[in-house]
Amino acid sequence: MDHEHIAYDIAIIGGGVVGFAGAMYAGRLGMKTLVLSEMTGGTIILTDVVENYPGFKRLTGQELADNIQEHAMDYGANLVEEKAIKIVKCSESCYSIFTESQSFHAKTILFATGAKHRELGIPGEKEFANKGVHSCALCDGPIYKEKTVAVVGGSDSAAKEALVLAKWAKKVYIVYRGEKIRAEPVNMRRVEQKISEGKIEIINNTNVNEIHGAGRVEYVILDREYSGSKKFMIDAVFVEIGMIPNSQLAQSLGIATNSKMEIVINRKAEANLPGIFAAGDVADMEFKQAITGVGEAVAAVYSAYRYVNENEFICACNDEEFEKSIIQYGKGK
Amino acid sequence: MEVKIYTTTLCPYCKMAKNLLRKKGVAYEEFNVESDASAAKEMAAKSNQMGVPVLDINGKIIVGFDRQAIEKALASEPQNSEAI
Repeated sequence: MDHEHIAYDIAIIGGGVVGFAGAMYAGRLGMKTLVLSEMTGGTIILTDVVENYPGFKRLTGQELADNIQEHAMDYGANLVEEKAIKIVKCSESCYSIFTESQSFHAKTILFATGAKHRELGIPGEKEFANKGVHSCALCDGPIYKEKTVAVVGGSDSAAKEALVLAKWAKKVYIVYRGEKIRAEPVNMRRVEQKISEGKIEIINNTNVNEIHGAGRVEYVILDREYSGSKKFMIDAVFVEIGMIPNSQLAQSLGIATNSKMEIVINRKAEANLPGIFAAGDVADMEFKQAITGVGEAVAAVYSAYRYVNENEFICACNDEEFEKSIIQYGKGK
Repeated sequence: MEVKIYTTTLCPYCKMAKNLLRKKGVAYEEFNVESDASAAKEMAAKSNQMGVPVLDINGKIIVGFDRQAIEKALASEPQNSEAI
C-alpha cells in the first residue's frame, strides 16, 4: 500500500497561536500542512488583554488567536480538531500520528503543544475545584461579584489575573510566597493603582497550605499569620503559579526534555530527533510570550522546510508496520 | 432535544462550546450566569459547582468545554434540532 499521497510535509501538534503561526508559514513555503488541535486557540484565549504583540496595541487573547488561525487557514492548512495520542516513527523518514479515530503520516513534526496550569497540590484544591478554586479569571471571575477572592502566585500572569478579578470582586488578595511579585512594570503600575483604591492587596512571603469550606470555599489556611490569624476568610482562590509543559507525547517518542519537562531545542528549533521541532511554551526558552513562541514556530517551519527539501524524503512506511500501528492505535485514514 | 448552556460574557471556553453546537447545527438556549442570578443558582444546583461553561444536553450535565463529552451526549440523542 502506498501512503505517500496522504503524507504531510509537516504535522503541527497544537492549535494555539504558535501552532497556527507555524502553519501559516508552512503554507507560504508550499508545505502540505496538518494541524492537530485538541483545544483550538490555546491558553492565550484566557488572556483578557494582549498589549505586547507587535502591530496590535491592544486586543484580546481570543482575537489574536482567531486572527492567527484565520491567517493560517488562508494558506490551506488542514485542521483536525482531535487530540494526538500517539506518534511512532514508521520508517526512516516518516512519522505516523494517531488520534482516537484517525491516523496520519508526516515527514516532520512541530510540537506546539503549549503548557497547562500548575496546581498547588494542597488539601482542598481538588475537592473545591470549580467550587471556589479556579484557574480562569475571565471565565469564572464574574461569579464572584462583590466577593473577596485571592490569586495565588507572583508572576506577571498572576498580576493580570488579579487585575481582571478586580473588575468584579470587592477585594482581591495576591498571596505570594516570595518577597515581591514579579509583574512587568506596566502591569505593576496598574496593580499599584488598584492597591491605592483598596481593590487589591498583596500578601508576600506567604503560602496557602489548605483550602476549606462546606460545599464551596470559605477559608484557607496560610503558613503564617495575616491580620493575627492563619485562617483567612475568602470566597474563591484563583491559582496562577506557573505552567507545566505538555511534553508527554514528545517524551514518549524519545524527545529530550530538561528538568522542567520542556523540549530542548536549538536556535533552529530542532529537537534531538531528525525531523522533530518544538516551539512556544513547550520548548526550553526562558521568556515565554506569544511573540517569542510565534517566532520560534516560524524558525522551526523554515528548518523543517529545509530538512524536507534537502533530503528529498519520500514518506512511505513499511506497509506491515503501518497496518500493525493502525490495529494498535486507531483506524487509518 | 433540549440543550442549555450556562455562560459568562467573556469566557472563551463558553464561546468554544457555543461554536461547536452551532457547527453541529444544534439549537441551544443560553443563560448568562453573570447577569442572571436565578440561572446561576440553577447551574450550581445542576452541576454542583460554579465554573462555566455548563451544558445541559437533555439532562446530561457537562462541566467545561469537553468536546468529546459534548459530541457523545449529542450523538446519543435520536435527532438534532435545527440550527439557531
